[in-house]
Amino acid sequence: MTARPSFGGADLARIAVFAALIAVLGTLPAIGGGVPITAQTLGVMLAGTVLGPWRGAAAILVLELLVLAGLPLLAGGRGGAGVFVSPSVGYLIGWIAGVIVIGLIVRADRRRPTILRTSVGVVLGGIVTIYAFGIPFQAGITGLTLGQTALSSLVFLPGDLIKAAITVALTLALWRAYPRAFGQSSRRPSATVGSVNTSAADAPATTEPRG
Amino acid sequence: MISLYRPGNSPLHRLPAGRKLLLIGALILAISIYPHTLWTLGASAAIVVAAFLIAGQGLRGLWRQTRVVLPLIVFTAVFQLIFLPWMSATITTVRILLVILLAALISLTTQTSAMLDAIERALTPLSRIGVRADRIALLLALTITVIPVIISFARDIITAHRARGVRPGPRTFVVPLLVQTMRFADELGEALNARGVRS
Repeated sequence: MTARPSFGGADLARIAVFAALIAVLGTLPAIGGGVPITAQTLGVMLAGTVLGPWRGAAAILVLELLVLAGLPLLAGGRGGAGVFVSPSVGYLIGWIAGVIVIGLIVRADRRRPTILRTSVGVVLGGIVTIYAFGIPFQAGITGLTLGQTALSSLVFLPGDLIKAAITVALTLALWRAYPRAFGQSSRRPSATVGSVNTSAADAPATTEPRG
Repeated sequence: MISLYRPGNSPLHRLPAGRKLLLIGALILAISIYPHTLWTLGASAAIVVAAFLIAGQGLRGLWRQTRVVLPLIVFTAVFQLIFLPWMSATITTVRILLVILLAALISLTTQTSAMLDAIERALTPLSRIGVRADRIALLLALTITVIPVIISFARDIITAHRARGVRPGPRTFVVPLLVQTMRFADELGEALNARGVRS
């Protein structure tokens, strides 16, 4: 939202709609069968793969400002100013940085996202980057060392790895079902027209969601 | 949209959002960095309880907020007890709980709209480095109105699955939700552009 990545109406709409989507994913009962997984972090990682780095990060920022304003939009109905003084605040900051990393890696070019690049992006951005912000804040607030804190966050690693894998599958499935979702920023109209047209031709616009 | 705000007419409710943030923020900072003994921690706890009572939240309100963060507090306590002597583990865990409760008090006594205004005002000085506070305020308002739309998409998909006996999973649920959501974003974007919303 700075002057440099300036957003047009289409970008603003995508940012707002995705922020809302992440909030709604957080309200859902845990999905995934045996392991209870909240879908919210899926939404965070998808913001990077679908919206790209800057619009994705903006969507996270919008969600977090609404949480700060007192709306219980985080998983499990958490929200309000309390979230930002809790030991997990670093992970919320990490969401923003993580989405930028995911977007930069996965959306480095305009071509179809590959399994390899999407996996690398989601793991580096959605796990490594988020933990890299989360653990130091947690250590500072709880008074444990970085090593001890890292050890305690290992508890969440299996779940996060599963979510990363699901995010990769969802990203590729979305590309097949509705490639327009990945539409480029309206900043570069010439590039947008080309990529949107070719990708729209890959899958006809009549593809209905199987809902 | 359900907010954490609890209507009331306490002194804390009447305090303007910006000043309330500064006041409670200062208290949070003080409790966070003070090297506590059990006595000063007890005094801090008394302050927090008093603040909840003054704000008209009562002990039930205090418990409700505690219950929300209980998983986090238990998680913290377990690892504190593993790595630290029980005394400092107790002090750290209680201190974290107190600070979260105080911050929650801001949200309990401030209307979301007042907080949104305060956020917009706080961002306005950043216009020098290119941050458009009015644009962010528009985005926040837009997102609030969009949330019920996305919820209705999610409900429709769940209903359709039930009717067909499909077991909802990430792929059968999230992919259709993403498609509908991004379609809606395109329509919304066209509507915004038609109304000349550009930055």
